Amino acid sequence: MTVHGFFPGCAYKSAAGYRESVEAVNTRLGIRLEALDDWNCCGATAAFSLDESDGLALCGRIFALAQKAGFSRIVTVCNACYTTLLKAKKHLEKDGQKFDAVSRRLAGQGLDIKAALPDVSHYLDVLSDTVAAMPPAENHGCGYPFEAVGVYYGCQYSRPWLSGPAAQRPRVLEDVLERMGISTVDHSAGTLCCGASHAVPYADACGTMIRRIVQEIRAKGGQLITTICPMCQFNLDAGQTHQGQAALPVTYFTQLIGLALDIAPGALGLNKLLIPLAAEKKQTG
Amino acid sequence: MMDDRRLLDQFFTDPDCRTIRHCIQCGTCSGSCPLGAEMDAAPRELFALIRDGDIDAALHSDTPWFCVSCYQCMDRCPQEIPVTDIMYRLKQMAMAAGCRPRSHKVADFYRALADDIGVNGRMTESHVMARYGLKHPGAAVANTLTAVKLLTRRRLDVLPGRTRRPVQIAALTANCRKKDKAS
Repeated sequence: MTVHGFFPGCAYKSAAGYRESVEAVNTRLGIRLEALDDWNCCGATAAFSLDESDGLALCGRIFALAQKAGFSRIVTVCNACYTTLLKAKKHLEKDGQKFDAVSRRLAGQGLDIKAALPDVSHYLDVLSDTVAAMPPAENHGCGYPFEAVGVYYGCQYSRPWLSGPAAQRPRVLEDVLERMGISTVDHSAGTLCCGASHAVPYADACGTMIRRIVQEIRAKGGQLITTICPMCQFNLDAGQTHQGQAALPVTYFTQLIGLALDIAPGALGLNKLLIPLAAEKKQTG
Repeated sequence: MMDDRRLLDQFFTDPDCRTIRHCIQCGTCSGSCPLGAEMDAAPRELFALIRDGDIDAALHSDTPWFCVSCYQCMDRCPQEIPVTDIMYRLKQMAMAAGCRPRSHKVADFYRALADDIGVNGRMTESHVMARYGLKHPGAAVANTLTAVKLLTRRRLDVLPGRTRRPVQIAALTANCRKKDKAS
């Protein structure tokens, strides 16, 4: 099995059981990720907003670290890291002057960036490929009572990278979950925006955005929301308070897949969710 | 005025920005924007201003700073204008020109994040919140309850993640800080 270069991103380690569940699922399915040595923050939307050359340099360093370790692919677990790295890759491949400028800044720190930049993938796609390649017998071992799941992708997984209907309504995670025996609901809020980091300075406006997503999923019969990005998970989990109705639990997709693979809830960090998962609450309480 | 001319030229020299010449003013961007109602001039209007030559208004507008990078406008634009990318260019130009946006809470938040990366090489949420809270105490108070909840679930990282030599990462984010000081 190929070992992929892994870019954890800054939000991963304190995310609600994301790290625990990714590691547990990797062990079970034989997916091998190796964190890039000495990785730095990608700069997210902040660096690219304030100064493009800094945004490119931060990502350029990450590409150089991957090249040094011999990785041709970087796997991310966060939509913001994913889009930031892909955006930097696009700029650096298209514009020789920008590439040279980054190359000079990194050379000053003893790092060498080569023109053939690594590919960037979201962990969801790695997991999807792995599940698709599994013999069917291993796929329906869903030993946990699941409710109908509303998949929430957030913005930057599908846009601006996928085109056509997939940019608005991707299906990849619904397909993975259903293959694992988990039922999903059809709804239209999968790629609406949760407000991302704007939820800090503009909590009220973003509260409306969060409410719209949760209400749509609830209206279509979803009893649980699952996410693929730390920012989305945090906003939907922390942002449902004060909204009057019973809150829908918000998990990481890897936590559901872990449960479907009969991994113990305790190994998936489910106790870190702000809104407890009903099944988990029954087990522990 | 001379400066406006130079900034307009700079804007229209950028291959992404130049595409607003094809804008048909349909308003799909503004209608798709989740925070369009908060903006002083949602994207359609902002592009009209720039085409009228009012680059000064565009660089002082809060619109690019309200952009959440959801890429909805960019996906839907019938003229294939990379609206979100243009918002980034406007923010960068505003910082470089020392234009304080009328509503700059997001600029302050980005600056808090860039500063934090400069210290440890990686971002730590609680530290970014503390930095931002120094400038906007209301936000610090509003987020205290959430912080307590995170703490009880052992999710509030106080100890930062660090690269081996954060000073190198500080050097790679130096322009983010320099440009803010100019404003």
